[in-house]
Amino acid sequence: MAAVVGSRRMRRLQAGLVYAVLTALAAIFLFPLFWVFGLSLKTRLQVFADPPLFIWWPTLENYVDVLSRSDFLLAFVNTLVVAGSAVTLSLCVGVPAAYAFARFPFTGRSFLFFALLVMRMLPPIAVLVPMYVLFSKLGLATTRLSVVLAYATFALPLVVWIMRGFFEDLPKELEESAWIDGAGRYRAFVHIVLPLAKPGMVAAGILCLQLAWNDFLFAAVLTNNATQTLPVKMMSFSAGDSGVDWGGLTASGMLVILPVIIFSFAAQRHLVAGLSSGAVKG
Amino acid sequence: MDASGRDVVRLVPVGVRGADKGWGLRGFSLDRAFPAVAVLPTFVVMLCIFGIPLLFSLYLSFTGWALDQALMGGRFVGLANYEDLLNDPAFVGSLGITFGYTAAAVAAQMALGLAIALLLNIDLPYMRVLRTALVVPMMITPIVGALCWKLLLEPSLGFFNYLIGQKIVWLGMPATALASVWVVSVWQSTPYVALILLAGLRSLPTEPLEAAAIDGASRRQSFWHITLPLLRPYLLVALLLRVIFEFRAFDNIYALTGGGPANATMVLSMFTYLTSFVRFDFSLGAAASWIMLLISMITCLFFIATIRRRDTY
Repeated sequence: MAAVVGSRRMRRLQAGLVYAVLTALAAIFLFPLFWVFGLSLKTRLQVFADPPLFIWWPTLENYVDVLSRSDFLLAFVNTLVVAGSAVTLSLCVGVPAAYAFARFPFTGRSFLFFALLVMRMLPPIAVLVPMYVLFSKLGLATTRLSVVLAYATFALPLVVWIMRGFFEDLPKELEESAWIDGAGRYRAFVHIVLPLAKPGMVAAGILCLQLAWNDFLFAAVLTNNATQTLPVKMMSFSAGDSGVDWGGLTASGMLVILPVIIFSFAAQRHLVAGLSSGAVKG
Repeated sequence: MDASGRDVVRLVPVGVRGADKGWGLRGFSLDRAFPAVAVLPTFVVMLCIFGIPLLFSLYLSFTGWALDQALMGGRFVGLANYEDLLNDPAFVGSLGITFGYTAAAVAAQMALGLAIALLLNIDLPYMRVLRTALVVPMMITPIVGALCWKLLLEPSLGFFNYLIGQKIVWLGMPATALASVWVVSVWQSTPYVALILLAGLRSLPTEPLEAAAIDGASRRQSFWHITLPLLRPYLLVALLLRVIFEFRAFDNIYALTGGGPANATMVLSMFTYLTSFVRFDFSLGAAASWIMLLISMITCLFFIATIRRRDTY
């Protein structure tokens, strides 16, 4: 960590400068959100005020309107179900594989691993085009299952990458002693490795949940009115019959990001590990 | 990974009983199959949601196929779809726009991200709060972030036009539309670069910098000759990830401009989306997505080779 150096006055001056620059940047970075949060607390009339109102009596009517709409609540439930299922599927399938990748040499290991890397790196639209065609022919289009499978294309590689790194950092001795005592690979995995892997699984799960929650493209193509997720529902407020529904759009936008902000802070220390996963380990 | 050669002296944790007799010989062979059994589900899922769709899209890209035809009922047309794409000014234009946009966005994100990481790395109180605030744009749902900017840039009610006292249609003119999309992506993803580089800065050894300071190197010299070279692996990782993610950019552009005006923001993802899901030309869409796929795979391999070469050396 770099320290501020120099005489005491210089140090103070430098510290002040650093704070000033960073605070200004933070203000610029956060401003769009604050502005839209402000809009969501305005009535339709106040939104259209010119020049914009900077002081007004905030109203919650937009939030009340949005939250009392059954289609919005349905989209919320859809998002939870779809994102939750995708994460669960990816964890159940990916964690044993990650363990095998970390501990055992087997034929096809590097090929499979490379395929996972490609899967993580490829543009989602490239897999969405054939997926949509195949799903519609199989009668799966516009079902929640189709979205869950689509989300697994990014969630599964992420789980395997994160968990492989996690397993590599775990000491081998515990499993080895269990093997010697005759526990067998399966039992050692279930009773010894999995409990130890819980923190890693929580981190991987939260990151995948966030990605699934934030997705727009897959859900926009693969859902209909009954199965759409929150980001898709939110966008529909901007294309209503009577033009843009400002109150609905801004309030629903804020409601979509509220859980993300909460669980991002819950997972903050895992964030960097997740970000650079998919990158090549040295 | 056989443990038998080692003398491991450790108690068996509770919950694991010794081998019971019934497990016996069969257990041994099953045990050897463990890696295969553990990987099999992942392999099957990958095949279903990744292998088969991509092979099918390769097939589609060589046929003329419409949604009302049987799955394999398309007529083989050879490379006609690819030829059509390369003769389509909209597609060729979108190739150029995608490359230019990716380069401009990633360059700005890397420069600004490095600056922010260096500032956040300075040891002062309350830096955590500032870091948290700076990371927010990256965490929130991208389409909501883009929407916030769309409202800020709104011609008659937006804050920007109020600020400068004019009524500019930012998203309605080719040059300003592309610039707006660029600004939004820099806003959204600079924190991503900053976080990776900050983690890198935190993990650097302090000895070389101390040695340089003792030898009388100026701060600028030690930054260029010590910090940056040591940070190189992190810079490469951030660069790779940003190039890959900007190349597939979709959400921002969908929310802000939808590819317009006059195709000025028509990146490849948007082109493929419109071709497949608005014009329902899946064969052409499949060809476009295979071109995207090849470009991202080549980029990826190039980066991996670069990173590997540095590591072994």
